[in-house]
Amino acid sequence: MKEIGAKEFEAEVLQENGLVLVDFNADWCGPCQMMKSVLEEFAEKNNTVKVVGVNIDDNEDLAREYNVSGIPCMVLFSDGKETKRVVGVQSVKKIERMIGV
Amino acid sequence: MIYDIIIVGAGMAGLTAAIYGSRAGKSVLVLEGNIHGGQIINTINIENWPGDYKTTGAELMQKIYKQAVDLGAEVEYDEVIKIVDKGEQKEVECEDAKYTARAVILAMGTEPRKMSDKQARDAGNRPVSYCATCDGALYKGKPVVVVGSGNTAKHEIAYLEGIASKVYHIHHDDPIPQDAAAVFVAIGRVPSTECVEGLIELDKEGYVVANEDCTTSQEGIYVAGDCRTKKVRQLVTAAADGATAAEKAVRYLNKI
Ligand SMILES: Cc1cc2nc3c(=O)[nH]c(=O)nc-3n(C[C@H](O)[C@H](O)[C@H](O)COP(=O)(O)OP(=O)(O)OC[C@H]3O[C@@H](n4cnc5c(N)ncnc54)[C@H](O)[C@@H]3O)c2cc1C
Repeated sequence: MKEIGAKEFEAEVLQENGLVLVDFNADWCGPCQMMKSVLEEFAEKNNTVKVVGVNIDDNEDLAREYNVSGIPCMVLFSDGKETKRVVGVQSVKKIERMIGV
Repeated sequence: MIYDIIIVGAGMAGLTAAIYGSRAGKSVLVLEGNIHGGQIINTINIENWPGDYKTTGAELMQKIYKQAVDLGAEVEYDEVIKIVDKGEQKEVECEDAKYTARAVILAMGTEPRKMSDKQARDAGNRPVSYCATCDGALYKGKPVVVVGSGNTAKHEIAYLEGIASKVYHIHHDDPIPQDAAAVFVAIGRVPSTECVEGLIELDKEGYVVANEDCTTSQEGIYVAGDCRTKKVRQLVTAAADGATAAEKAVRYLNKI
């Protein structure tokens, strides 16, 4: 999974056509490590959704801007607009259902 | 398909039972309502799991999950709502589907006790967390409040004091301070046994009444880990239960 920062956020998420799932995470967060392996499995199965990670310690401004109040926090963008979000570790199935793929 | 064993919950107890059941040549389905790993996945420093000194819960459970799947156990992410005991067949009704097995192992563990309704109203739209090590860092330099008076609460307070600008400490039912940016709740845990209410004998706190051999009031239904009546609720005892319950289930299956 590609990790991005504030510099890339505009091009990688906001300017992107279609679906982008942003995973807000941190190194010290155990469930986030688990979520990463779930998202890798998800990405292998679903190539129509782009998945990127944002480390909230390196990108405090982004975390604040998107009101991240618990992690892992997965925010779905559709054509650059937030449409859905979910907080806490999820199974591949729940992520697929949330996105509708 | 009728499974030999359905296991409810993919925490330490459930996944260990899956390892033993699969190795005994039985078809095993593990049903998990949330994510595999159970309550330990939020813990970042485990020091008493033999063989893996100073490991994280997420890492440990990911390994055990892979081990169970590698040995042939299936894992489905579906929350169990109700179990119907039809003697030699047990019907397990989930949110999305219904499954059937000849034996069932209950391994639902425990979940954090929720705040009182009054406190929840008081908290309003403020974020509520049941895990300071998970969410504490998000409130760097802000005032937060911890609800609870036991050991877990003390632990959460000590952790948050290194991060928040102020840590209020209140008890169950106290009003929530106005300026607290987030509410951390640590008022104990309760067994997740709602799906077996009316099916099986529970004690007054909701734990499945069990013998040390993990048998329950129902034939062909066994219980493992934190959701049963027991003295020590730890990873190793949950794993031990998983082995015992699976062994019992296998013997039962070989007999019927
Ligand atoms: C903060 C904390 C720190 C801890 N530290 C340690 C430690 O250092 N060392 C140690 O040995 N122990 C520790 N423990 C205790 C240890 O985590 C538990 O004893 C152990 O995880 C219990 O495992 P279990 O499989 O019985 O239950 P759980 O881990 O609770 O797993 C139960 C699983 O069942 C699922 N489930 C529940 N209901 C349903 C349903 N209806 N349908 C489908 N799935 C369902 C849950 O989602 C969960 O995944 C700690 C516990 C906590 C909370």
